[in-house]
Amino acid sequence: MSYLEEGFTLRSWLTTRDHKRIGILYALAITVFFFLGGAAAAIIRLELLTPQGDLVSADTYNKLFTIHGVVMVWFFLIPSIPSTLGNFLLPMMIGAREVAFPRLNIISWYIYVLGATFTVGAVIAGGVDTGWTFYTPLSTLFSNTHVVAAVMGVFIVGFSSILTGLNFIVTVHRMRAPGMTWFRMPLFVWANYATSLILVLATPVLAMTLVLLATERLLHVGIFDPALGGDPLLFQHLFWFYSHPAVYIMVLPAMGVASEIITCFARKRIFGYKFMCYAILGIAGFGFLVWGHHMFVSGQSAYAGMVFSMLSFMVAVPSAIKVFNWTATLYKGSIEFTAPMLYALGFVGLFTIGGMTGLYLAAIALDVHLTDTYFVIAHFHYIMVGGSVMAYLGGIHFWWPKITGRLYSEAWGRVGAITIFAGFNLTFFPQYLLGFLGMPRRYHSYPPEFQLLNILSSAGAAVLAVGYLLPLIYLGWSLFLGKRASPNPWHARGLEWKTASPPPKENFHETPEVDAVPYAYNPEEKLA
Amino acid sequence: MSASSREIDAGGRGEPDRHARGDVDPRAWREETASLGMWVFLATELMFFGGLFLAYLYLRTHDPEGVAAASTHTHEWLGTINTAILLTSSFAMALAVHAAKDARRKAAQRLLVVTAAFGLAFLVVKGIEYGMEWRDGLVPGLRFTLAENTRTATLFFFLYFVATGIHAVHLAIGVATVLWIAWRLRAAALPGWRVDEIDVLGLYWHFVDAVWIFLYPLFYLVNLNA
Amino acid sequence: MKAGRPIRAYAITWAALLLLLALTFGLAHLKLGAFNPVASLVIAAVKAALVALFFMHLRRARALLVLFALVAPFALAILFALSGADYATREVHPAPWVAPRGE
Repeated sequence: MSYLEEGFTLRSWLTTRDHKRIGILYALAITVFFFLGGAAAAIIRLELLTPQGDLVSADTYNKLFTIHGVVMVWFFLIPSIPSTLGNFLLPMMIGAREVAFPRLNIISWYIYVLGATFTVGAVIAGGVDTGWTFYTPLSTLFSNTHVVAAVMGVFIVGFSSILTGLNFIVTVHRMRAPGMTWFRMPLFVWANYATSLILVLATPVLAMTLVLLATERLLHVGIFDPALGGDPLLFQHLFWFYSHPAVYIMVLPAMGVASEIITCFARKRIFGYKFMCYAILGIAGFGFLVWGHHMFVSGQSAYAGMVFSMLSFMVAVPSAIKVFNWTATLYKGSIEFTAPMLYALGFVGLFTIGGMTGLYLAAIALDVHLTDTYFVIAHFHYIMVGGSVMAYLGGIHFWWPKITGRLYSEAWGRVGAITIFAGFNLTFFPQYLLGFLGMPRRYHSYPPEFQLLNILSSAGAAVLAVGYLLPLIYLGWSLFLGKRASPNPWHARGLEWKTASPPPKENFHETPEVDAVPYAYNPEEKLA
Repeated sequence: MSASSREIDAGGRGEPDRHARGDVDPRAWREETASLGMWVFLATELMFFGGLFLAYLYLRTHDPEGVAAASTHTHEWLGTINTAILLTSSFAMALAVHAAKDARRKAAQRLLVVTAAFGLAFLVVKGIEYGMEWRDGLVPGLRFTLAENTRTATLFFFLYFVATGIHAVHLAIGVATVLWIAWRLRAAALPGWRVDEIDVLGLYWHFVDAVWIFLYPLFYLVNLNA
Repeated sequence: MKAGRPIRAYAITWAALLLLLALTFGLAHLKLGAFNPVASLVIAAVKAALVALFFMHLRRARALLVLFALVAPFALAILFALSGADYATREVHPAPWVAPRGE
């Protein structure tokens, strides 16, 4: 009997402690938020079709990009891979029957929902116009919108991240199957472990920052208020101490997913496995040292800027190691262009572009020109959308047979992947050019000479929207009419493929014993 | 926690299976898992307070004289007495955990009640102190009537109330949990899983104590030699 | 664990903590200049270490727990050091305060 057949009532889902069901609860919740954030983005791109601010007012536009940012960052990207795929797969990949603290796990989902309620409440009540960064003193003194409710939502949802991270850390340390040594763990597990460390260490700093911000807004006294001798840059230091590592919360699990998919469909053991592990830890560690590159033009000391600039360049090293190793894994591999593989390859390419342009922004002199332009927007969308969302969708496709026990339509899967890749580049590549030409972010109107590139970008967004709706349709269709999946349709090597599709409630009927390195793929072997 | 287990669990010693095979004590396994979970949680808690400490450091380094002047309005005797109370509560908590590990249920229960009593005493003193500060007009944003150097003094008391307030909330949660567990210990024999609960609760309690150990000199001892 | 010995260790720890409390309170009343904050923070750190090592059993804990006990102080050190790099070298040019409109 599979975990899906353990109970069909709503109650059996809402009171579950099964990490697999919790993963699905998260998947449903974040899908709702993905389309909510996407709807805001769609209106933004519609507005930017014309140079005049004619569709929405400047105020509404501010609220739209704030909703888009808050929802996409905290209610979609941060929980996306760890809380859905991570929850579902991490225990199975290490041969465990459950996570270390199953009750805490379902509590974390309810905390997410509670935080989401506040945020949706803030949106319904009239929105927030500060941008997702809540910079002071705009958010504390000047904004007349529902900042406190939105901040409460983000504060609360942070605790769901913390509990998930805590659970993963303890699970990896304590629940591994016999023989599952650290260097036999799949990279997806490594990536989620490193992500959990960041979640646990960085999120609470954001929580305290938001407490100070909300108190300051409510009482009109505060440490971020320059009129009182406070320092707005203190807010930025604290905010980016969380929010820069948060980028790695989003992209490290994506790297884990890409590693699993690429090695499977190249039918080759991942190149430089141990270096991949060290690179994951290196990125997580360096991630804490570079936040000041968000503040080059903020009035931060020039000397601190130099230090942060240099440290930021260093993050490129472990990131480059990963890209090189993925490429080397493909070399002489027996590559199969399945839908998940297309997503994973798309991830590598787009992550590389996003990462390289990150180096432009890490260079102080160039950053002075590029700060707060569309170049920055394009850069982080290449990392977060081109990187994380591509990998998330790739992972959803890769493990879909395992999660649902059904096969999706491979042809439609490929069409979807290619549509998203094309739509993504059409949307965001013109934004690099716009930014380089000097178009600032967060304005609802712009000079007419930028219109052509903006039309291209908006057209790309339409393609992207179709691309995102496609999986919703054919994956939904496969739930009812898709072919039944065998336990291991991809002939993959991880422990999660050694049990039924969908897995039984306790994951494995007998605890697996591990006696080999991961990814023992044979280059000559093809998919059946 | 023998010397032989004093190493990072880096080998492939998957615990659930080890106890399925009978070579690990499930109770010891659970105790170690629970304490790892609590230590990770405490790391989170420390980072939570860390942001506040940075804000304090900013204020202290930017206007040392202002902070020194403002701090003379705190009640250092009450703060010192409270520190002693909290340190003593930690002593009682350590004894309670020790009794629980020895399966001395009654002793553990009594010591937990003593711990909670000290915790409550701390909160009562803190409450009295807050009352005095309210009367003296030291509450920024609500009732702040301090004449001299208002800017830094406002921020100093802002941080004081946020820090001690959040600390007090933590302590109140601790007191409630200690009492709840003590109440559950009243009749039942002490089963193993409660020992790890008490152990983990002890870690939390000592952590809250340790936070206060830092808050005390930062807010009360700045300028006593004037 | 033999009964009695840990209890003695706890009692000694407690006594040491109270002594340190008296010491830090006393030192704060002396004019020591820059040494005042240093003394009170060092004593606080020693007290916290005593609590962690003896009351929280870190002295006998597995290396993994010690690691997790140290990781947050280490992360905080990064936060303080790199923000400090900014504060220590930043030039501040205060501008006159402009009140927000509409209030």
